[in-house]
Amino acid sequence: MVYTKKHPALLIMGVLLVALAVATNAGMLDGLVDYLKIGKKTGEITGMSGFFGIVGLAVGAWHMWGKHEEGNLDYYLSSVGGAIFILFIAMIVTWFVAPWIAVISKSMGPVMGAKYLHQVLGLNYIVLGIVAGIITVNVFKIPGWAENGVRLSRLGLKTGVILLGTLYSLAELAHLGKLSVVMIGFFVLGSVGLVLFLGGRRKIPNSMAGVLSAGMGVCGVSATVAAAPVVQAKPTEIAYTIGTILIWGVGCMFLFPVIGHVLNLGHIQFGAWAGTGILNSAQVAGAALAYQPDGIETLKVAEIFNITRVLFLPLIVLWLAIWYVRREESAAGTKVNVGKVVIEKFPLFVLGFILMFALSSTGIFAPPNHYKGKYFDNDIKESKLLTEAEVALLTTEAAKVQSPARAEALARLIEGRKIANIDDDATIRGLTNAKVLSKDASKVLKKAHKVVYHTAKKIKQFRQWITWLFAFGLTGLGMQITGAAMRQAGGQPLVIGGIVGTIKAVLSLIVILLFVSETI
Amino acid sequence: MTPARILLASHGTPGARAAEQAALSLCAREGTIWHLEVVPDFWKGMRGDDWLNNAITQQRFGDYVESQLERELAEHAEALSREVLDRGFSYENLSVLGKPAECLLDAAARETFDLVVIGSPRPKGTPGYRSRMKMETLVRGLRIPLFVAPHPDR
Repeated sequence: MVYTKKHPALLIMGVLLVALAVATNAGMLDGLVDYLKIGKKTGEITGMSGFFGIVGLAVGAWHMWGKHEEGNLDYYLSSVGGAIFILFIAMIVTWFVAPWIAVISKSMGPVMGAKYLHQVLGLNYIVLGIVAGIITVNVFKIPGWAENGVRLSRLGLKTGVILLGTLYSLAELAHLGKLSVVMIGFFVLGSVGLVLFLGGRRKIPNSMAGVLSAGMGVCGVSATVAAAPVVQAKPTEIAYTIGTILIWGVGCMFLFPVIGHVLNLGHIQFGAWAGTGILNSAQVAGAALAYQPDGIETLKVAEIFNITRVLFLPLIVLWLAIWYVRREESAAGTKVNVGKVVIEKFPLFVLGFILMFALSSTGIFAPPNHYKGKYFDNDIKESKLLTEAEVALLTTEAAKVQSPARAEALARLIEGRKIANIDDDATIRGLTNAKVLSKDASKVLKKAHKVVYHTAKKIKQFRQWITWLFAFGLTGLGMQITGAAMRQAGGQPLVIGGIVGTIKAVLSLIVILLFVSETI
Repeated sequence: MTPARILLASHGTPGARAAEQAALSLCAREGTIWHLEVVPDFWKGMRGDDWLNNAITQQRFGDYVESQLERELAEHAEALSREVLDRGFSYENLSVLGKPAECLLDAAARETFDLVVIGSPRPKGTPGYRSRMKMETLVRGLRIPLFVAPHPDR
C-alpha cells in the first residue's frame, strides 16, 4: 500500500512557515510582536518556522512531484504532512493565539487577587492547542493527507516524558516517587475496588465492571484499551466506558486548574492532585501545563504520578484477569499467563525516562554538581560583579546578621563582590530567605546568587524541546478526541464512573491539602 | 406496489427488529431482502486518547474490538438470514463502516431497489450507541420510497 497522498497542503504549509520566518526576521511583524508582547520569542519563531518550513517545502515537493512506491520511504515521509500540520497549529496557538488571549485578558484587569482571567481559566498554549485539535477533528475533520502523521503525536508525548528524565534530581525523584506510590497505590486500588463493588451492587456484567474499573482506576482510555480484551468486554461496554472517561477527562482538564488557582495550590500539590484525580494521562499533562504555563515544575510532579500509574497498569490488568476468570463461567479454566501480561503491558518508554535520568546524573548534560540542571560557577565576567553601591548597601546592613556562618559568608561576598563558593551560596540563600536584611539588600543577595548559578545549555535546550514536544503531542492528541466517541458516554458506566471519579478527585484533593507540603 | 427488492437497514436493536418484521411482511413473493449492517464510524476515534500503551497492546485492542464487532454482525446476519430464507425470500448481506445515513445512501445507489426499510429512533433513555440515522440527509438523498417502522416501545 502507498501511503503518500499527492496533495499540495504540505508545500503550502512550508511556504507559509518560511514566509513567517522571513517576515519575523526582517522586522515586518514588529507591530504585531509589540502588541502581543512576544519579543522574547522572535528568535524561536524565526528558527523553528524557518527549519520546519524548509522541511515542509522539501517533503511537500516530493509529495507533489515525487515517485511514490510502497516501502519505508513512502511510509515515513507520508507522516510528515500530518506532523507539520499539528506543529503548524501548535505554533500559531503558542506564538499568536495564546498571547492574544493574554493581552485581552490583561486589558480586563485582575479577576482573582493578582491573577488575570486567562490565568485562572488556564487558557494557555497547551489548553488552547488541545482545544484547537478537538475543533479541527470535530468541525473540519482530519484531512486524508494528514491522517498518517497525526498518530505521531503519541511519539511526541513519549519523547517528551523521556527527555523530562534529565530534569530531576535524585532527591526529587525519590521524594516524588514515594509520594506517588503511596497516593496512586491507595487511589488506584481504591477506585478499582470501588468500581467492582458498585458494579456488583448495581448488577452490571463482570466484563463491564472490569473494563470500567481499569479506566476509572488507572489511566483512563489507555487502561481501558489494555484491559478490554482481558475481561472480554463487549463493544457497547467499551464504548460506554471510553465515552465516559473522555468526557470526564476533558472536563477535569479545564476544571482542575481553576480549582487549583482558587485554592492557591503550590506546584507540587497541584501536580500530585492532577496526577491522582484526573483519569486520562494526557489530560494530566494538559492540566499541569495549564496550571503553570511558564515553567515545568508542575508537569514534572504530574508526570511522575503518570509514570507511577502506568507502572501499576500491568498489575491491575493481571488482577482483573484473575478476578474475571474466577467469576465468569465462560472464562473458567483459562490460565492467566502472568509473565506475558506483565511483559506485554510494560511501558517501554519508562525505561527511556530512567535512562535519561541516569545519564543526566552522570553529568553528561550538565556538570555533576548540578541540581535540576542548574550548577554553581563563580567564574564570571567583571560586569556581573556587585556594583560599589550594592556592596555599600550590604556593608551597611552587615551588622544585622547574628549568625557567625552567615556573617562570614556575607563578608566574603562583600570582599570579592561575588559569592565565593557553593557553601557560601547555600548560606547566602538561607540569609535571603530569613529576611534579616532590608528588601533592597535581599534583592542584591538574590542577584549575587543568580549570577553564579547557571542553567546548563543542554538542559535549557531540553526544557525547550520538552515544552514543544508536549505542545505537539497534546495538540495532536486533541485531534483524536472525537465528539462521536464522547457521545457514547452513558448507561451504568456513566453513573458509576461519575460517582467514583468525583470521590477520587475530592478525596485526593483533601489528602493533598492535609498532607502534601510544597518543599522537597 | 409490492416491493420485490428491499434494502433493510438493521443492527438488531428493538427498533431495527421492528424494521425487519416490516420488511418481511412487505416483501413480494420470492423477493430479495438486502440486509445492510453499519458499524458506526465513532469506533475509529475510540483509541484516540491512549498514548501510554505500546504497539502490541494497541494492536491487540484493535483486533479484539474488530473481532467482537464482526462476531456481533455475523450473529445478527445469521439469525436474520434464517428468518428471511424460512419465509421464502432471498437474502443478501452488506456490512460497512461509516455514518448510518451516508452508508445507506451509498448502498441504495449500488443496486436497484424498490423500497428502503429502517427502524425509528429508540425512545430517550433507552441504552444503545449514540449513532443515529440523520433523517434529513437520508430523505434528501434517497431516490426511492422509504418506510420507517414504528418503534415497539412507543
